[in-house]
Amino acid sequence: MPFVILAILAALPLTGLSSYAMHLVILVVMWSVVGMAWNLLGGYCGQVSFGHAAYFGVGAYTAGILYTKMAISPWWGVPLSIPVVALFSFFLGYIVLRLRGPFFALATLASGEVMRVTAENLVDFTGGTLGIMIQERTWVEKTWYYYIILLVATVTFVLVKKLAESKLGYYFVAIREDQDAAESMGINTTLYKTLALCISGCLTGAAGAFYMNYMGYIDPNVVFALHDISIITIMIVMVGGVATYWGPVVGAVIMVLLAEWIRSIPGLGTAHYTFFGILLIIIIIFLPNGIVGDFPKLKRLLKLQKA
Amino acid sequence: MKRLSFAVVFIFVLSIFAAPVLAANTFELVIPLPLTGKQAKFGEMMKRSYEMAAEEVNARGGIKKKKLILAFEDSGAKPETARAIVERLIDVKKQPIIVGEYTSACAKAVAAVAEERKTPYLIVASADDEITQQNYKYVFRQNQVNDHYADALVSFFRDVVKPRTIAILYESSAFGTSGAEAMAKDAAKLGVRVVMKEKYEAGSVDFRPLLSKVKAARPDVVYMVSYVMDASLLMKQIKELRVDAKLFAGGAAGFAIPEFIENAKDAAEYVVSATLWTEQLKYPGAGEYAEKYKARYGAYPSYHGASAYSAIFVVKNALERAKSWTPDAIRDSLKATNLMTAFGPIRFENREGYRNQNFMDTLAIQVQSGRFETIWPLNHASKRYIYPIPTWRQRR
Amino acid sequence: MTSAQIEVLLQTLISGILLGGLYALIGLGMTLIMGVMKIINLAHGELMMVAMYIAYWMFVLFHVDPYLSVFIAAPVMFFLGVMIQKFLINPVLRVESILPENQVILTVGIGMVLSNLATMFFTSDYRSTPVGYATDALYLSDYWKSSPIELSLSVPWSVSFVFAVIITIALWFFLSKTDTGKSIRATAQDPEAALLMGVNIKLMRVITFGLGSGLVGAAGCLLLPIYYLFPALGGQFTLIAFVITILGRLGSAMGAIIGGLVLGVFESLTATYIGMGWAPVGRFVMFIACLVFLPGGVASLLRKKRFGA
Repeated sequence: MPFVILAILAALPLTGLSSYAMHLVILVVMWSVVGMAWNLLGGYCGQVSFGHAAYFGVGAYTAGILYTKMAISPWWGVPLSIPVVALFSFFLGYIVLRLRGPFFALATLASGEVMRVTAENLVDFTGGTLGIMIQERTWVEKTWYYYIILLVATVTFVLVKKLAESKLGYYFVAIREDQDAAESMGINTTLYKTLALCISGCLTGAAGAFYMNYMGYIDPNVVFALHDISIITIMIVMVGGVATYWGPVVGAVIMVLLAEWIRSIPGLGTAHYTFFGILLIIIIIFLPNGIVGDFPKLKRLLKLQKA
Repeated sequence: MKRLSFAVVFIFVLSIFAAPVLAANTFELVIPLPLTGKQAKFGEMMKRSYEMAAEEVNARGGIKKKKLILAFEDSGAKPETARAIVERLIDVKKQPIIVGEYTSACAKAVAAVAEERKTPYLIVASADDEITQQNYKYVFRQNQVNDHYADALVSFFRDVVKPRTIAILYESSAFGTSGAEAMAKDAAKLGVRVVMKEKYEAGSVDFRPLLSKVKAARPDVVYMVSYVMDASLLMKQIKELRVDAKLFAGGAAGFAIPEFIENAKDAAEYVVSATLWTEQLKYPGAGEYAEKYKARYGAYPSYHGASAYSAIFVVKNALERAKSWTPDAIRDSLKATNLMTAFGPIRFENREGYRNQNFMDTLAIQVQSGRFETIWPLNHASKRYIYPIPTWRQRR
Repeated sequence: MTSAQIEVLLQTLISGILLGGLYALIGLGMTLIMGVMKIINLAHGELMMVAMYIAYWMFVLFHVDPYLSVFIAAPVMFFLGVMIQKFLINPVLRVESILPENQVILTVGIGMVLSNLATMFFTSDYRSTPVGYATDALYLSDYWKSSPIELSLSVPWSVSFVFAVIITIALWFFLSKTDTGKSIRATAQDPEAALLMGVNIKLMRVITFGLGSGLVGAAGCLLLPIYYLFPALGGQFTLIAFVITILGRLGSAMGAIIGGLVLGVFESLTATYIGMGWAPVGRFVMFIACLVFLPGGVASLLRKKRFGA
């Protein structure tokens, strides 16, 4: 099944999709990466982060600073962001992982904001609010961007799946279900939580570095955004399905394509935002575990209606 | 579940009915704008101005006898969304020219796409210098760049105020930062010492700590670069703390919109600001546009609106002169633009490292008896400037 | 220290304290909701925005002073909060889900809808109530003619501060002395035990959310004369409310005012002596530090001192 989907996805650019459609597909894949990364930490390990923008932004800035300070291709940022973000998330995890539940959520939320304002203030290093702009993006055609992010997504998917099915995955779930019980069973919860955070952060950072290359422009308000990055990430996973392999992908499709579709309904004007908000409310009320997580329920509900 | 399916059906029906029926003899221009979020106010003002211009164009027979139909898409000031809109316009709608956007972040995203896809893009109100410094061939900008926003103000300083010290306060954004940098450079040229240069987070509630520091530093001029309401909060709190200076000056944006006077009231009196346009300018159509806008929406527009209004005429002019309505032909005719508009004369030049940039006179305005008056340069002035200004104590 | 430096310091402290009062007011509703229900309400700022619009229109249409609008907006917001809790949040809390945080999406959705509706109905124009006393202030030199330094005290800010103190005391009284208040606190401490003791925890949650919304509604009315209003204003105040909630202690009215004051003074000092651009960093670093090292909030320091425990 995954291979079939991968084959279809790999063949997608050959079907002559318009550049507009490719842009949306690339965004979907990119957000799936962030969503899957978040899912590892939030869905499996139960640590709900409200600050994934911090990792996304650090990744994006790694690529950007490589370009502005060392004058090398920002594509190096995609691999190089991994050690940078790993170090960063190790440090951050050391602080925030002491906390649990809503307190962890709030601490991560604050960490994203701290990173945003720090990036704004370190003008000499990050360019401050003026941001970083790449003079000329690598390709006009979107095909290569697509394959690169698809590769990242495939790696992410496989990694998350392998991890979730390994012993590590069981430790993660044990921590999510009851951290004290897990601790008393001899699981080193701090170690495994830090591990989950680092892996999750690195994958998000890689997506951030890709964003720098793809969009060609970043500033602190764009990549460290609370609503547009951190919260969108949570919504992608929650709408798609927490702790499921395909949930984040489905979530990304909904959050990007549906949002774009509703937005471009002519005549709706600014009301598209209300529609989208209401849709989110409905999804979460009826399908609290997301579309993939509550798929049986969704099928049942639809069947009931037909009968 | 019933409710869910109802909602879905409802949206479907809406989307079907809302699809516009297009006649062959029309030219549709879709404009990306921020209509939600923090920048929505400017998006709205520009939307109204575009619409007013389109009405006038159509009343006079449209563009080459084609009726101009405008549509707007909300980018919410998100670069990815702005890019999505423009990719669709170029790719699916085959629109040969792009106009619009407001924030510099979005304009950068759009400009990069326009250049790659070889479609001309006319920037209306994004001020970030970088955009036209990229040597983009297809990107045109009709508003002045941030670096030059304060030109008139600086010459006012030089000729009238002759300050020895200046304090620069600016908001933490691309606009604020580049405005402050430009002023620091100008100050160095004039031999004015910068005693303070500090930024603040836009939307702050309390500026008093910052202002007490300004008060202690006793600068001759306090120059502030702020968006919208920060400007009036700053002035209100300056009044309250009785910070006295020879002149309070603003760098366009928040200091040059009607809300500034409305909100800051007597605290706004005598404040001088840079601006790109006022309704008192003697450009053809400027006054009429402003009055019409005021009659319709209850307040005068700021330069953002005027620029949007004139952009439609620039597009009309370019389309009429273009050999064909292909992106390249339109690009060439845009490049050759030499048009007088309500916003001022528009010509796209390559100089000072900028490409396809319209350089226009900037102005200085002053609040006098609760109204904006154009005071500098003198040939555009509607009233004589008031200087020196009274201290806060004397004003009671 | 020269007299100019003393003036800067004192003025900074005054504005820090006044700002703290305002912050406390915004944080009160949040601390109550988070304390009782342990949910993260990201629509907090949007609820305040709605209350501000109510106060604004009361002023424009009926010339009701924003301070009087507290008595109109707070009950309206209470009702709105009750509705949100009853019909939207309770159904989500009831269902078993892997992560209880899915209610966050709900509050995000509510926030989106509220701010977008405000844009549609009231346009995105920036508005402010043209009250005459907006820039009124008391000056030290007016009372003490030979004062070497000049200090000022803003009238509307002081009024908001007094209101904040009164509301906090009233809330503290309600929570610790009335039956309903005690039930709410019991629900916060241990919902299951409270249930066994015969507390209708569902009702308590509804009341709490309503009360929290009413409080932030009151905060909105008091903020209006000194600030301004537009549909997207909510976000930044939601964040501030979180910080205060943690600096104080979850569910503690007195904690909120202490948290507010600490944050206000801290921010003002940062703005004066480090730079206003860094003030938000200071805010969140303090927030994280407090989360990690002082789980009971800043108020717990005071308590430890007093009881030696």
